[in-house]
Amino acid sequence: MASAPASETPPPLRRSVAMVWRSLRSMRTALILLLILALVSVAGSFVPQIPNSPLRVARDFQEHPLRSRIFDALGLFDVFGSWWFTLVYSLLLVSLGACLIPRTRAIVRNLRSRPQPARELDTFRHYAEVQVPHAPQRAAEQAQKLLRRRWFRVSRPQGQASVAADKGLAREFGSLLFHWSFFLVMIGIVIGKGTGFTGFAAITEGQCWVEAAANYDGNLRTGRYFGGNHTGAQICVDSFSDTYRTSGIPMDFVTRASLTSGDGVTTTTHDIRLNDPGSIDGLNLYQFAFGWAPEIEVRLGDRVIADGPIQFERNPAPEGVSELAVPWHGALRLPTTEPQRGVQFDLWPSFAAYLAFLETGEPTTMMTAPDHPVLNFSVYEGDLAAELAPRFSEIDARGLREESRGAVGQGQIVSLQTGRVLDGERLDRARADEELTMSFTGIRQYTVLQVSRDRGLWIMLAAAILILVGLIPALYTSRRKVWVRADPDGRGSVLKVGGFALQRTTQFEEEFARLVRDLERATGGGDPSGPDRSETDRVGAR
Amino acid sequence: MSVAQWARISNDAFNVAMFGYVGAMVGYFYYLAFRREIVWRVASTVTWIALGAHVVSVLSRGMAADRVPWGNLYEYSSMLALLIVAAYLVIVEWRYKVKSIGGFVLALVVLTMAVAVSFLYVGPAPLVPALNSYWIKIHVVAAIVGSSLLALGGGVLTGLYLYQDRSERRRDELAASGMPPIAGGATDLDVQSGDGAAPHDLVADELEPASGPRRGGLLPPASTLDRLAYRTIAFAFPIWTFAVIAGAIWAQEAWGRYWGWDPKETWSFIVWVVYAGYLHARATAGWKGRRAATIALIGFAALLVNYYVVNTVVSGLHSYSGV
Ligand code: HEM
Repeated sequence: MASAPASETPPPLRRSVAMVWRSLRSMRTALILLLILALVSVAGSFVPQIPNSPLRVARDFQEHPLRSRIFDALGLFDVFGSWWFTLVYSLLLVSLGACLIPRTRAIVRNLRSRPQPARELDTFRHYAEVQVPHAPQRAAEQAQKLLRRRWFRVSRPQGQASVAADKGLAREFGSLLFHWSFFLVMIGIVIGKGTGFTGFAAITEGQCWVEAAANYDGNLRTGRYFGGNHTGAQICVDSFSDTYRTSGIPMDFVTRASLTSGDGVTTTTHDIRLNDPGSIDGLNLYQFAFGWAPEIEVRLGDRVIADGPIQFERNPAPEGVSELAVPWHGALRLPTTEPQRGVQFDLWPSFAAYLAFLETGEPTTMMTAPDHPVLNFSVYEGDLAAELAPRFSEIDARGLREESRGAVGQGQIVSLQTGRVLDGERLDRARADEELTMSFTGIRQYTVLQVSRDRGLWIMLAAAILILVGLIPALYTSRRKVWVRADPDGRGSVLKVGGFALQRTTQFEEEFARLVRDLERATGGGDPSGPDRSETDRVGAR
Repeated sequence: MSVAQWARISNDAFNVAMFGYVGAMVGYFYYLAFRREIVWRVASTVTWIALGAHVVSVLSRGMAADRVPWGNLYEYSSMLALLIVAAYLVIVEWRYKVKSIGGFVLALVVLTMAVAVSFLYVGPAPLVPALNSYWIKIHVVAAIVGSSLLALGGGVLTGLYLYQDRSERRRDELAASGMPPIAGGATDLDVQSGDGAAPHDLVADELEPASGPRRGGLLPPASTLDRLAYRTIAFAFPIWTFAVIAGAIWAQEAWGRYWGWDPKETWSFIVWVVYAGYLHARATAGWKGRRAATIALIGFAALLVNYYVVNTVVSGLHSYSGV
């Protein structure tokens, strides 16, 4: 290789690499990639996306299995995570880098060098002559001063009566800043999403929750580079409240919480609501959802074997039925072994709605405050091994025997063996007979907080600011160049002024005229003999 | 004053504004066809007055709902129409002194308002909690300002440019085929200008013929429309960029993530990318002019989808901001 003679044609591989590189650098490639990016995104907005609406995708699979399988194979259900979306934006970034490197080199070179002199001034788009009563050197010096005052970069070769000036490097500088910032955006995403996590913490009023992997009950997504260090911060929920206007429109959702850092040193209180997240130990806490948690106490004879609030989940509302009209469900596994027992609940927050449903079978919208809530329950016995998960709300009744069923209002006690309400003497007898009894002692709410850590946020914010800061000069300023040469003419000299603008040419026309007028004034000259040959907008301003 | 009274004032002022715009639109079109200066003056004045009524309508709507008057699609539409008119008056009439396109702008405005009252109207009501944030002042205002400028620049001005450019071309072709360039005659100056040596606008201004239609037709020359469209879009682009960024910051604050490819976010991104493509096309050989303008029109179409389709048909986190 080393001894190969310098040939005119480089080896084919290198040639094709050079060709690819050149086409990546071309503006047309960037343009086309941008348009493809837009087109690809369109698909992602009309096909339901798994990360946004998993339920709708599941429904699609049921209703149109074949179409859904094709869509799935094409990645259409997760466009923004698909390989081809990644390909498009990666290509765009490569193309961007390929464009920016030479442009950045050029601007650095440009900053180091001085404006270059030009010869034929009268060939420029804008040209004028000014008669000056001074010698060329003096006139050139005055022109130089004036241009400097106008924020031009000026160069005047030693001992010559000519000046070269330019202005508006901010345009290219801003454009570069703007474009480079997209790499910063990518860095922010990779760092933030890669080292961060998002999870959901369901906390009942009056209870505390510690930030640790196990406590997310499986609702935790971690980034690829997340080291596994959870903070141990503690979130205690004093109360949750949801308020509505009389029309039923939600007004406010607030979780009043006290937050204690993992080292136990600082405790703060915060009202977490929509648009007002809390934060502790670098975690952000967002109000995400809420629900009912009835307090249930189960006794075997006199002995309390289960006690506390149980978080219920909202039943899915059938098509066309308000979410507020459906009951909630929850489940409890009793700590009895012979036999194993579990209780499945349906909660009706309003007794009236429960009655109405029993009578008519029609759901009615329930007020959002509990109004004599009722629990419907079924007791199952059999092998409950599947219900060992720390958080579950549904018992799989297959293979289980239903022992009893019934309903219990708040404040009542029922027998789990017969499902009947107990009071007075019957209750005493049940207790004495070592029966299983359950009482519905009260009802609380629980709140679901989204807990997330994203260390890239500051990078993203910085990138966003740089994008905006770069964009302004990139769009609204223009590169313009001016040359002035003083030639001897009679007893004085004649100043020849030429110039052009790369952008915003119409505006430069006025600027140039003003510059020539000021030159006249500054040099004490006048009577421009050359007509201003400025023409409007020959190329069309950009 | 009571809520109902403020609401009535708002609705009445809205109607006054809309009918004012309709009248002005007719006036502008009349001027376009017959060049009666006085008619233009009246049309312009009526537009200003209607704009005043429109401002009253928006403000009293805010009083009625006791919050910022841009909390649902009806209110967005009204604001959008108002800002398109304002942008037209300031940029096109005042800054660039172009007179003959007012009718087209007002046609878009009237259409927007008519759709708003007939399909999107809702009475004044408080904001849902998800919208209740100071970001609604920042993000939504930027989005509406950006949209109005894009509608003006990427929609009306670009559309007119494409139309005018085609008719100029056709005329040039006709002239070139009908008459040898050097033979002279009454129209040879037109022919000479056809090769792009001199800008059409200069020629058109200097060659106001004594009789017959002007060379460039009734509209401003294509190059003027093109430049005007570009300036407007270039003005809008950073505002739209800012709106998207502000939306991301708000989303981070409200939903715990700055970007989630929600349909609204996706379409705002599409609009942004398409206009970035437009700006590139303006600087790319072979894409300047008609092709770039086509991209701008695509961007305008994306804006309409983002506005009407996404808010009403596609469901997502943003959909509660809808009707
Ligand atoms: C992340 C994708 C990109 C976006 C969002 C984007 C956006 C923009 C925008 C908004 C402008 C107008 C403002 C300005 O002059 O700076 C612009 C200009 C420009 N872009 Fe890009 N761009 C991207 C990628 C590229 C690529 C890959 C190239 C390489 C060919 C490129 C080359 C240029 C050049 C040379 C200009 C200046 C044009 C002029 O003088 O007006 N851009 N870009």
